[in-house]
Parts: sequence; structure tokens; C-alpha cells
Amino acid sequence: MLPFLAGLVASAVLAPLRLAGLAAVAGFATAVYLVVGFEFSPMTTVRKAMLLGLVAPVIGVAADVAFKPTRFAAPLIALLSAAASVWVFLAVLRQKEIAQAVLLGGGVGAYVAWLVVWMLALRDDSVRAGAASLALGLGTGVAAVFAASATLGLYAMALGSASGAFLLVQMLTGRRTFAGVAFTLTAGLLAGLLGAATYHLAQLPWFVLPVMALVPLAARVPVPAKWPVWGQATGISVLPLAVAAAACFLVWQSSRGSPG
Amino acid sequence: MKQTVIGLTLAILPLTCVAAPESYTFDPYHTFVHFGVDHNDFSTIWGRFEKCSGKFSIDLQAKTGTLEVIVETGSVTTGDSVRGNRPRSRDEHLRSADFFNAVEFPRMRYKAGSVKFNGDAPAELRGDLTLLGVTRPVTLMLDRWKCAPHAVTKRWICGGNAVGTLKRTDFGMKWGVPATGDEVKILVTFEAFRD
Repeated sequence: MLPFLAGLVASAVLAPLRLAGLAAVAGFATAVYLVVGFEFSPMTTVRKAMLLGLVAPVIGVAADVAFKPTRFAAPLIALLSAAASVWVFLAVLRQKEIAQAVLLGGGVGAYVAWLVVWMLALRDDSVRAGAASLALGLGTGVAAVFAASATLGLYAMALGSASGAFLLVQMLTGRRTFAGVAFTLTAGLLAGLLGAATYHLAQLPWFVLPVMALVPLAARVPVPAKWPVWGQATGISVLPLAVAAAACFLVWQSSRGSPG
Repeated sequence: MKQTVIGLTLAILPLTCVAAPESYTFDPYHTFVHFGVDHNDFSTIWGRFEKCSGKFSIDLQAKTGTLEVIVETGSVTTGDSVRGNRPRSRDEHLRSADFFNAVEFPRMRYKAGSVKFNGDAPAELRGDLTLLGVTRPVTLMLDRWKCAPHAVTKRWICGGNAVGTLKRTDFGMKWGVPATGDEVKILVTFEAFRD
């Protein structure tokens, strides 16, 4: 509830400054504060993911304010995100055989880069970005809880609920706001890292991640431009949420009844 | 002079042999680390680690000793390992990043370099526990100790129980506090063969 409120306040208050995209990190940071607090020593995998989640909006705001986004920007940021994700999971990858570490590291990097690049593609459409982040956050969160990690689940659900607040402000005011790199990079990177962490550190089946990766694509579903904002938000959110629900169903199905 | 040195050496040699520390290796089939945690203020849930290894050395004459135990965190069990209709069991949850984070931290280590004796028996171990990448001092009290030839193998064996407590939040394990208690009771039951 509190991450949702934090996202709501950030979206409403910062919208005139074109910083409503900070809603995502507001929700996430609230969850971190409530669950474990801001501790970064020792630098564990989850703490590295936390750190990147807090740094991403800073880079995003800088990109939104200072740089003119080019068509090369999104792939470049995605590539850097992939590299950062390998750093996040380095302690886990080091314990694997080289071939397996390369495969797992590559998989993590690809998943994070995919989510980042497709979320960044939605940076100029705040309704689609909000819908995608809502579904990614809630889907990853529920999947993480099913996969035995409540902490990762709460972090992801906080992202989802703050994104829901970001969407709700637009629906209530009837005005689109500005998502930008600040929102989409934070959402894509966090959802990617939390999903990958649930695979590595908990018991998320690998085949759930490719399904979850379809969420940002599902948010591109066409809706009539003449629809009011609340109608567009509702219409666009249905498919990404359905995809996320399907991913959660897979986790539930794969875990039920099997031995621990 | 030369004869004096040789004489003294021969005289001291038996004493140093007696005082030399003896080295022991824990018997993995009879050594377990148990832990107990308060659950919702109703009861104490006890669990244990199925796999641990280690060695200790003890010098009964000098009343000194050292100990090192390595525990496989992934071997944790609380008797709840079957999911049934739930998405996960308690043991799976304990292995996740919420608690022991067994994938990232597959081992925890207790290393003691200070042993206090009560008469001829070791009574207190002072050492450091490294868990989740955090090292903190933990003291264990030996409430049982016996050394004798093994009844079957006749090999010299020492065994006993050690107890202690720690706060899991000191090691960054914060999930579930206070519903799932912060204070963790530790009971180590061990048997070790002389090397």
C-alpha cells in the first residue's frame, strides 16, 4: 500500500516538472526501506540489484533532461544494462562451471537487455509504459512469491503498484504525463533484475522469463486514439496483465505438488 | 656443553609430546548444527543442517584449542520439505534469498581460536561466524564433553554438545522479524575422531 501511495504522490506532484517517471523508483525505494532498509554491505546480489534500481532513475533523468535521445541510445543503454546485470550476478556465476556461467550470464544479460530496450521504446507513451510496468512488476512479484522469495516478490510488486499509481494519475486527470527514460529504464532494469534474481536465488523456472519478456510487446496493442485516457489505459493494460498472469500460472503449475 | 644440550633436549622431548595438540575431524554422520527460532510468539521451530564438516585441535595440557566448522546452508531442513498444495515448502523458503540465500552463500563458517576450560574439559568457545558474507563473534558453551575409545571401532573419539545464541539480523537476515524471531538458539551436537 505504501509503495502505491509513494508512487501516487510522486506522479501527482512531479508531473508538472516532467518528472512523474520517478514514481517507479519512489515505490521501489519505499519497499526497500520497509523490508530491509538501505544497507549495501556486504554487496550481495540483491543489494546490487537494489543499487542499480536506485541509480537507474538518476541516469534516466539525466538522459531526459540533458541528452537528445537518438535511435542508438536505447540499444546502448540496454547493452550497458546487460553488462551491469552480469556484475549483479557475478557472485552466483563464479560458483558455476565456465560453460554454465557463460550460458546463465548471457541469459540474464539478454533478459535484462530485452526488457530495457522494449521498455525504453515506450518512453514517449506514458500510458503504454505505465501499463507495461504495472504488469511486469505485479507479474514478477507474484511469480517470485510462488517461487519462494517474499523479499524479491515485495520489491517487484512495489514497482508494479507504483506503476499502477503512475497510470491512475493519468486516468483520473485525463492527461498523459511524461514517462521518459527515468520511468522506463527503472521499470525495465528492475523487472529484469528481480526476475533473474528469482530464477537464480529462488526457484523460478527458466521458461517463465521468456513469457514475462512478452509483456512490453503486449503493451503495444493498438487502441483507438480518440478513446479517453482512462479508456486507453484500461484497454492497453488488459493484454500485458494477461501475459503476466499466464507467466504466474506457469510458476504455480510447475511448483504444485512437486517435492521440495 | 654439547652433551648438556643433547641431555636437555632428550629431557624436554617427552614433555612436548604430551603437550602437543591433538587434531580431530568431525564425524559427519554424528555431527549436526541445530537451530531454534521463535514462531509468532507461540512456539520454537527447530531445524538443522544435514551437512557440515570441520576439524578441531585441542591441547589438554596447555588448555588451548582451535576449531573450524563449515556448514552447507543448502542442507537446511525443518521437517517441511514437501510442497503439497503450496507453491513452496518452508525449507525451500529458508534456502531462498529471504533467509540463507544458499545459492549465493552455499556455506557458513564458524572459526574459534579461543577455548576456555573448566577443569580438564573445554567449556567455552569464542569464535567468529561468517554467514551471508557477514562475520560476527559468536560464543558457544560446551554443556557436554567426553573423550573415550569408540565402543565398536576402538578409535579415540570426543563428543559433546555446544549451545549458543545469535541475532540473525546482525548477519543481515531480516526477513520475517519479529514474527519469526530475531534471536536464534544454536545447538551443535558433535562427535569427532582423532586424526
